[in-house]
Amino acid sequence: MEHLLEVKNLSVSIDGPAGEVRAVRDVSFSLKKGEVLAIVGESGCGKSVLCKSIMKLLPPSAKIKEGSICVNGQDITCYREKEMQKLRGRVFSMIFQDPMTSLNPTIKIGKQIGEAVVIHNKNYTKEQVNKKVLELMELVGISHPKERYHQYPWQFSGGMRQRCVMAIALAADPDILFADEPTTALDVTIQAQILDLLREIQMKLGTATILVSHDLGVVARVADRVAVMYAGKIVEIGTAEEVYYDPRHPYTWGLMRSLPAFANGKESLYTIPGMPPTLIDPPKGDAFACRNEYALNIDYEEMPPMFKITDTHYAATWLLDPRAPQIKSPMGGIVHE
Amino acid sequence: MRQKKLVYYGKKCLIFLISVFILSVAVFYVARLAPGDPLISYYGDRTEKMSPEEREWAMEKLGLNEPISVQYVKWVKNAFHGEFGISFKYKQNVLEVIGGRIGNTLVLGGIGFIIMFAGALLLGILCAWYENRLADRILCKLGTISSCIPEFWMALVLILIFSVNLKILPSSGAYSTGNAGNFGDRVLHLIMPLTIIVMEHLWYYAYMIRNKILEEVRADYVLLAKAKGLNKKKLMFRHCVRNVMPAYLSIMAIAVPHILGGTYVVESVFSYPGIGALSYESARYHDYNLLMLLCMISGILVIFCNIVSQTINEQIDPRMKDEVITEKSEVVEG
Repeated sequence: MEHLLEVKNLSVSIDGPAGEVRAVRDVSFSLKKGEVLAIVGESGCGKSVLCKSIMKLLPPSAKIKEGSICVNGQDITCYREKEMQKLRGRVFSMIFQDPMTSLNPTIKIGKQIGEAVVIHNKNYTKEQVNKKVLELMELVGISHPKERYHQYPWQFSGGMRQRCVMAIALAADPDILFADEPTTALDVTIQAQILDLLREIQMKLGTATILVSHDLGVVARVADRVAVMYAGKIVEIGTAEEVYYDPRHPYTWGLMRSLPAFANGKESLYTIPGMPPTLIDPPKGDAFACRNEYALNIDYEEMPPMFKITDTHYAATWLLDPRAPQIKSPMGGIVHE
Repeated sequence: MRQKKLVYYGKKCLIFLISVFILSVAVFYVARLAPGDPLISYYGDRTEKMSPEEREWAMEKLGLNEPISVQYVKWVKNAFHGEFGISFKYKQNVLEVIGGRIGNTLVLGGIGFIIMFAGALLLGILCAWYENRLADRILCKLGTISSCIPEFWMALVLILIFSVNLKILPSSGAYSTGNAGNFGDRVLHLIMPLTIIVMEHLWYYAYMIRNKILEEVRADYVLLAKAKGLNKKKLMFRHCVRNVMPAYLSIMAIAVPHILGGTYVVESVFSYPGIGALSYESARYHDYNLLMLLCMISGILVIFCNIVSQTINEQIDPRMKDEVITEKSEVVEG
């Protein structure tokens, strides 16, 4: 089956005052039609940069160093702003973290959604645009769309604003939807609603979705496949079942063990010791090695390749090498047979 | 809804009237309490030779012996009948004195104002569009240099170049002698003063617009607008420039007195017959009636501009209307 999105060996660097930040390092993954891929990892591991670099929404200081991005079989790595404008909205679209700031405060909601509709349907009449806007508002669950059409963003609550942002993102029926931590800025009850809505819309429209989150619990609700990122690299990728029930990378173990559900009545939650490394000068070898209680000597020397576990499940840890010692995963099960 | 509008504009008018009243009281008192001899402006050098009796008589004649509050009430009463008294210095009705000059200042200041703000907006957008690229960097440097040059010096340099050496532009006045009312002649006389007025403030406002727009360009909503496929032109004009406009309009209104003050320097360098020089004289020589009316004119202009800018702001950005927030913002969560 043709992949909708294929990212190969993508590296993205951002020039900063302290030096070049290697935010995304050698990342490869693909996305099928109608699939939900979740990218999880702690703050600053390059999740957002990865998404924004695919849509080329990063500031000019960010550059794609290596690798390729293919959308619908077309290589868009070298696309310029003009060409990207045609793809944005129609081929891929994005929902951002903070709905409080991602809407223009001075323009009525209906107009902002309408604008997105018009961009890709230039021959629509006013009535058609209006109709489409109201449809979209209904789709994302905004009640009384006719009245709310004429309201300004500050007259909406956070959850409602995120729904508006979704309506804008979906205005031109994109093939791929990037959701960059869409629930982080919302309170917990609204988070669940937005996630359910995301899933519901995804089912209804068949939009392939990349959901970025730092919360494994959030992801479990909606994702078909899960990619775990650490220090700019994907360290484990597989179907949701594989990653949740048979995680292989020590970092994934760490993330899982820090979920409140795993505390099992213990006094405090588990935390992964230490801090993620800076990406200005990432360590040689496995970036996670110094926080990894299972680290092998080679982890400090050489970067582990992606080991194949099943056809869909890959992980980058030397523990999967046949020469590595047998280790019992804290999640149960052993790392390699 | 209709009634609400009426109340809204009624409130604005009330604010306007109160401000004007306070302004008139303040100017009236401050002018009279300031040290100095008002008789000098009426009698000139003769004042020094006056005996105390003569002085007393003169003060009585000009109505300056009464308590200030009584004088003020009298002034207000007369003002309502359209009588603002005579100018001590010109021994003429102040309305006539000002009337002969105000047109010139309005033409110079008004045209300068329009050119300057339109130019600053365009220049600011241009710089923001080419942020940190060659065009922007060159314009930024040129702008900084131009705004550092003092206007009186620049005016003299221009006079030297265009009037003295090249002899293509007149150096002073509003018309050449014998040419009063000639439109072409008028325009020629306006070129240099206008250039100075525009140049003096142009970059200040252009740079502000540039930075305001760049602030907007970095806002999160721009990312969403980009993500939906909006092109740079629409993004710039429909979103960023639009969001900058309220601030710009209020600054335009606040700039009115600056421009008015700026015209004074220009007026004096080019011997341009406007009210700038008149204000200075009247304040310096205690020409109370003239000073009062000039202050009221410029004060009313400033207050009016402020209220207008606020009203425009509220139309563009409805968040500025504070009462609306409490009325309509109940949050509906679905």
